Amino acid sequence: MDPLAELKQTFFQECEELLGALEQKLQALDEGSTDPEDVNAAFRAIHSIKGGAGAFGCTELVAFAHVFEASLDHLRSGRVAIEDAPFSLFLRCSDAVADLVSAARNDEVATARPDLLEALERVGQAPKPAAAAPEPAKTETAKPEAAKTEAAKPPAAKSAPAAADDAPPGIAALGNLLAMVEAKTGVAPARADDGWDDEPAAAAPAPADKPGRDLCLRISPESDLFRRVIEPRVVLGSLPAEDIVSVVCDLSQVPPLETLDVTDCHMRFVVTLRTELSVEDIYSRFDFTLAAEEFEIETLSPAAANDDSEPAEEVPAKPESEVSANVAADLSAILARLGPAPTSAPEPDILPVAAPVAAPVQAVADAAPALSRAPVTRAPANDAVAARQRQAVSVRVDLDRIDKLMNLVGEIVITQSMLVECVRSLPYDVHAKTAEGILTLSRQTRELQDHVMAVRAQPVKAVFQRMPRLVRELAQTLGKEVKLVLEGENTEVDKTIIEELADPLTHMIRNSMDHGLETPEDRIAAGKNPEGTIKLVAEHRAGRIVISVTDDGRGIGRDKLLAKAKSRGLVGQDEKLAPEEIDQLIFAAGLSTAEVISDVSGRGVGMDVVRRNVESLGGRISVDSEPGRGCKFTLALPLTLAVLEGMVIRCGDDRYVIPIASVIETQHLASTPIEHLTFGQEVLRWRGEVTPLHRLGAVMGSTGTPNENIIIIAETERGDNVGIAVDEIVGQQQVVVKSLEGNYGTVNGASAATILGDGLVALILDVDSMLRLAASSGRPSVPALKMAG
Amino acid sequence: MTLQLGEKHFSSAQPESAVRRIVTFKVGDRTFGIDVGMVREIKGWQATTPLPHAAPHVRGVLNLRGVILAVYDLRTSIGLGLTDATATHVIVVVDIEDKVAGLLVDSVSDIVDVPVSAVRPAPDLERDEHGLIEGLVLLDTDIVALLDLAAVIRDGGTEGAMAKAARAA
Repeated sequence: MDPLAELKQTFFQECEELLGALEQKLQALDEGSTDPEDVNAAFRAIHSIKGGAGAFGCTELVAFAHVFEASLDHLRSGRVAIEDAPFSLFLRCSDAVADLVSAARNDEVATARPDLLEALERVGQAPKPAAAAPEPAKTETAKPEAAKTEAAKPPAAKSAPAAADDAPPGIAALGNLLAMVEAKTGVAPARADDGWDDEPAAAAPAPADKPGRDLCLRISPESDLFRRVIEPRVVLGSLPAEDIVSVVCDLSQVPPLETLDVTDCHMRFVVTLRTELSVEDIYSRFDFTLAAEEFEIETLSPAAANDDSEPAEEVPAKPESEVSANVAADLSAILARLGPAPTSAPEPDILPVAAPVAAPVQAVADAAPALSRAPVTRAPANDAVAARQRQAVSVRVDLDRIDKLMNLVGEIVITQSMLVECVRSLPYDVHAKTAEGILTLSRQTRELQDHVMAVRAQPVKAVFQRMPRLVRELAQTLGKEVKLVLEGENTEVDKTIIEELADPLTHMIRNSMDHGLETPEDRIAAGKNPEGTIKLVAEHRAGRIVISVTDDGRGIGRDKLLAKAKSRGLVGQDEKLAPEEIDQLIFAAGLSTAEVISDVSGRGVGMDVVRRNVESLGGRISVDSEPGRGCKFTLALPLTLAVLEGMVIRCGDDRYVIPIASVIETQHLASTPIEHLTFGQEVLRWRGEVTPLHRLGAVMGSTGTPNENIIIIAETERGDNVGIAVDEIVGQQQVVVKSLEGNYGTVNGASAATILGDGLVALILDVDSMLRLAASSGRPSVPALKMAG
Repeated sequence: MTLQLGEKHFSSAQPESAVRRIVTFKVGDRTFGIDVGMVREIKGWQATTPLPHAAPHVRGVLNLRGVILAVYDLRTSIGLGLTDATATHVIVVVDIEDKVAGLLVDSVSDIVDVPVSAVRPAPDLERDEHGLIEGLVLLDTDIVALLDLAAVIRDGGTEGAMAKAARAA
């Protein structure tokens, strides 16, 4: 894969995270936070997006991001008080940035909304009697002007110096480098002489009082420097920081961007030292990093040259060294990113690892203390190092690899249960010892599995953070005032589930906004706060993740819903339904909520589709509504789709697995009173209720002669109970879920299959599907096998 | 297993490119064939887990190194009833488009190279209404019926209808 395209892909991934952070911080500020760190974080996020966008030539994005950044900068600098800032505008702008990013990602042309741009540029210009008074000139002239020049210039070129004073993570830093490269190579010739002198600025003399002699070091690394996992920071770090007078980076060797191989080192450094070290000492310090031919040492002045350098000259030297230090900081990030590139090239399935790989990380870490003492380093550079070290905590891994790991763990679980089976047949004394080992193994296997699951787990934040935007946009369209409250964003759930959550949640929130919440006028008339509230809560409960969407709107319009259901023939004309039963009709197929409850035009699908999606994931959805007070949709999903805790049961010659989550209790058939209704339907009395009983062997057409002894009371998705008669409970174990659809098709009565300890396949029962099968009373079904052609 | 080359059976030499390599196997006294490229592996009979209310030719599912696949009884598909599977019976594991499936047969006989021109269309397509037979090849003594695997594993294969197809073979 083209390395640039790869980097670009990583950039867009980063953008998503940055946009999430940006929105979150702005949201917090909008809700009344006055923490300047929130402002800084938001600023950093947009700044990093801008930096990266510049590198990839996303002109529109850069232009918009710059104006956005500039207006956020007013907050940072205190020109505009946080309390007075128009955060709702900023939030809309962050949406606009998201749009621009996704346009850039799809190579579409998008234009930033001029109205937002204008509004942004007005931020900080507005007459602010108290705060803005001390420096009106600066506010009014400097910033807009900067914005204009910005837009006019090649975007990449400008983003570099802007970025250099902060800690842009990852790709954004590359943006800076590329920008510098462009600046240097004449794309933006205006900047060519700007602090990038090839000459060491007249070898800026050291402070007069410092003993030692002046040395000039010319470091010209071979182009494979990075591939040796060495970076300039380390090289420079091996010199005593207090001896360094100046460091100048010579970029004249950097080829044009089109031909630039980012894994090559094209930098030359000229370091001026005032030191007491001997030339040999310096040679030995570079021993580990540079070959002898890669640097030369030139003595500028004799030892103990105490004379008179003008202190004034120190001043121009400073910006250079500052910039150089930042170059080093930025480059180290790039290096960290590119370090593994040459070795990983043959494996195209690896995305560039965002977190620095071990060696460079270590290098940065080692270099950090040295540089922090160095006079050339300023605080921002330290922050940069710290930021990069923080990044190292997370590693981007291809999901494919984790899936493979998960599959392997699944195999181990199977092998382990196979071992358990084998051990049973051993003589007792051998058995006892082995069983102990097996017990340990099974504990470790389960632990391993939990950890792999944890790797796959992600906070639901990934989905939740899309919702504020949805709510904002819908609120505008619908003319409603809505406050969205998010809770439990950090609740973790398997990645596969996260992906499946977005659609149902989007729909549930739309539903609440559209049909649940009233208009402000209606709310006032009803004596409510004109601003409606939607609460989105995630929590873990009993091995499931439970997500609820609660609104304080008008609740489900039962009369309308029932009338509609009757006209559709879903409910008999004279049928009497309990209020709760009517509410459940919202999930009935063919009853689009839009048609039923409100006049607002329907959007997309009905709640029946949501329910189907959720159920196909092994989850369930329910609704509680209180007329006039609001409505609550609750979604319960398994934490993972890969493994489940199951009860292995036998019926005739066949074994099945029933998910523990569906089992309420088990009891002996003999001790349970059974009554026969018509058509062979049996019922049992259980906890004072009449519960239908089904004989599994008959329903599933098991082979062999069933001899039912046990009744399993199971729960259906609707919360009803049902008795299932089986021969025997074989045991309880974790089973790996294997799809039947992959190589066969849907199997009625079963949701999937698994492999038991003896290597044989057992079907995982799906209680609801089994009941449907029972209702069709054993009519032979054909596998729904779809073959192309 | 011996590999016999096409020249043994066909006097008229064909260019290399126009040869189909076919795995032949037996169900009763009938010989069937499929392209060798579709065969993933050949393994001995292994107990399957029956599927509730599946069509008769679906013997059930089995675990092939962690992959679950369905096994189809070719004998049932061609209308000769269920195979009384023993350790000597063979499951031919085949790739059909994006699926893996097992085909239960009595035994695998041979691999033969057949010139494409020697493949005749199935004689009476009307009787093979499920299209199980894609074509016929005449060897020395046998008639090899080339199977359309997609049709074999497709649902709706009932015994009666498939029996007609079998007679065509």
